[in-house]
Formats: sequence, structure tokens, C-alpha cells
Amino acid sequence: MLVVAALVLVALALAGVAPRVMARRTGFRRSPRPALVVWQCVSLAAVLAALAAGPAVVPAIAGPGHGRAVVGGLALALSAGMLLRLLWSGHRVGTRLRAVRREHRELVDLLGLPEDVGAGQVTDRDGTVRVLAHPTPTAYCLPGLRGRVVLTRGALESLPQDQLAAVLAHERAHLRARHDLVLEFFTVLHRAVPPWLRSGAALAEVQLLVEVLADRAAVRVAGVTPVARALVTLAQGRHPEAAMAAGGGTALARMELLAAAERSARWLSALMYGFAVAVLAVPLALVAAAFSR
Amino acid sequence: MATAPTPRLGELERAVMEHLWTRTGNGDGPATVREVHDVVGAERDLAYTTLMTVLDRLTRKGVVERERDGRAWRYAPVGSREQLTARTLRDALGGLAADDRRAAMVHFLDEASADEIADLRAALAALEARRDAPPA
Repeated sequence: MLVVAALVLVALALAGVAPRVMARRTGFRRSPRPALVVWQCVSLAAVLAALAAGPAVVPAIAGPGHGRAVVGGLALALSAGMLLRLLWSGHRVGTRLRAVRREHRELVDLLGLPEDVGAGQVTDRDGTVRVLAHPTPTAYCLPGLRGRVVLTRGALESLPQDQLAAVLAHERAHLRARHDLVLEFFTVLHRAVPPWLRSGAALAEVQLLVEVLADRAAVRVAGVTPVARALVTLAQGRHPEAAMAAGGGTALARMELLAAAERSARWLSALMYGFAVAVLAVPLALVAAAFSR
Repeated sequence: MATAPTPRLGELERAVMEHLWTRTGNGDGPATVREVHDVVGAERDLAYTTLMTVLDRLTRKGVVERERDGRAWRYAPVGSREQLTARTLRDALGGLAADDRRAAMVHFLDEASADEIADLRAALAALEARRDAPPA
């Protein structure tokens, strides 16, 4: 029974407490890749612990008796319920995402201006870039197997060549590294956690880490200064009415990370990977303990 | 549909849209499949049914609408290129529910407020000053 209590506590700690603590440790943003792995492992471990708590009840109460069977059955039903909720969440998030993306991709494919891409401003060897005839300078990507980088004519007009290269490198990094899958996995786990327990800061932090990774890829292609300038160029080009009054923008955090050019220490990354593995091992060890008696 | 639409089909859809937009620009009304085929299909040596398929696909994508005219359908774009572009971008920039949009598209930048832009500029100036200065 002690193991069951431990699993429940671990699940609550990893789903409720850990994200709130981790989201405040902004120093880890300098190691975006291990930080993302830690986030994924923590949320996965939380889900594993929660799912395992039900089955772990069974060996603890093994023995004859009608009452025990009822308790065991209830515990298993609870776990099965959580698993269904998780799968349903995954299915819903996934289908919705793909529908929105497909519809949007069809539109940008129809409306994009190939002549602008061909005009030499954008090198588009793989045919993924679409330019929309619109004055609002903006850039985004539609991830997926048939990914697209979407730019507006406003963006082409306001970004000098080196900044444009930075923006394209950033978006291509998202597409190439399938950052959307990282986000999707995390979103599914996030939504599977009951609303009173889940932490919005965690999702925001993971989204920021993905941007930091893409920024680093852009720096490797275009250099620090063009990436930093492009952040400002695109931020100030937005029409005020499109801007949300509330903060929560990640641009400033990214700018500060660009300025902090020094890379994080190797040992810190190693420590973070080690922590990720250890966290994942906790529910597995507890399950092993539950069934080994 | 068994196979994914080929790039050629995409190119054809664009050509048909261009033709429909030109017609609207010239003040011509909605076009029949035959009329679209005579212009877009003939120069590409395409079958009538191919154009019918393309117009049907465009209708399902919601960029073309059709109306009955006797025994034939007449097709027209639901808006000009500018209108459809504005609509598409509105979806991307905030028309869709924030959750859907955030997850479906990865933006270079989130919305920034005036204060944030001022902070950003200051941070950029500091960054540039640091990089321009000779290493200490």
C-alpha cells in the first residue's frame, strides 16, 4: 500500500509541483535541448506514476475476499479511465491540429505568390516557402510532413536580406527538427492532467524552449545580430490592434538569451540528462517494487 | 482519395483561381466548367473532367462557390485574392482560437505590446553595443 501512496504522491509532485518550480528556473533556458528532455521526462513520469497506481493496488491487497476484489477492480478502473482520457486527449489534439494545418496549407498554397519567391529575395530550394500579399510583416511555419514557411510581402519589405535569412533559418529549423511533435506530445500530456493541477507556465516554458532552439539554429546560419534585429523588426511591424495588451510575449526572453552568448557548461547538460532519466526511473522502480513481493 | 494531390494539381488549382479572379475583374459572371476548360484546359491539353475535378476541389476548400444555372453549375471565387489572403492571415494571426493557432502554427513571434517593443529595442541596443565593443 505504501508503494501505491508513493506512486500517487510522485504523480502529484511531478504534474503539479515540479512544473511550477521548473518554470521559474530560467537559467535552464541556456541549455534548451536538455531542458526540453527534462520537461518531457517529468511529464511522462507523472503520467506513468498516475497510470501505475491502479495496478499497483492489486498485489498489495492480494488474497481472498470479496471486498478486496472490489477495491482492486475500482483501482484498475480508475487507471483505465485515466489511460482512456490520455488517448482521447491525444486523438483530439492530433486530429484537430492536422485539420487546421491542412486547411491553412491549402489556402497558402493557393494564395501564395510564387513570383515573389522566385524574385531572388528568398532562396527556396525545397519549395516550402509561400509569400502572402499582405502588408502586415509576419512569418510563421505550418509544421507537418508537407511543412510550409509562410511570409508576408510586408515581411519581405521590412526585413533586410540578412534578417530575412535569419527568419527563414529559424522557421526551417522548426520544420526540420519537427518541433511540432515535441509541442504536440507535451500538449497532449498537459491536457491529460486535470485542470486544477496542470500548469500553464509549463506549456509556455516548453514553447519558449522550442523557440530558443530555433533561434540558435538561425544564429548558426545568419549570426547573432541579424536574429536579434529580426525579432525587433517583426515585433514593431505588427499593427497595434493585432497586438494583445497582456504580456506573455517571449521575444524579450529570447533576446536576452541571444545576448548571453556564452554556452552552458557541458556538465550542466549532462546533469540535466541524468536527472531526466532518474525522474523517469522513479515510477518504473516503484512499479517493480509493487510487483516484486 | 487514394493518392496525395500532386504539385501539378496544385499548379492547376492556382491557374483556375487566377482565371476566375480575372473573369471577376473583367466583370464577367460565374463561369461554367466548359468556359474554364476552354481557357485553362485548352492551353494545357486537359480533359473536361479534370477541370470539373479541380473546380470541385476548390469548392470543397471553400474558396469557390457554385450556383445552378439550368443543367450546369457556375463557379465564382468567394472573394478576391486580397480578401482571401486577408482572411487567411487573420486565421493565422488571431482569428482561430488561440489554442488551435498556437499549436497548429509556429510563429516567429508572438504578439508584442508597445512596452515590450520598447524593452526589445533597448535589449537590442545593448546587444549591439556589446558586440561592437572590442573584447575586454
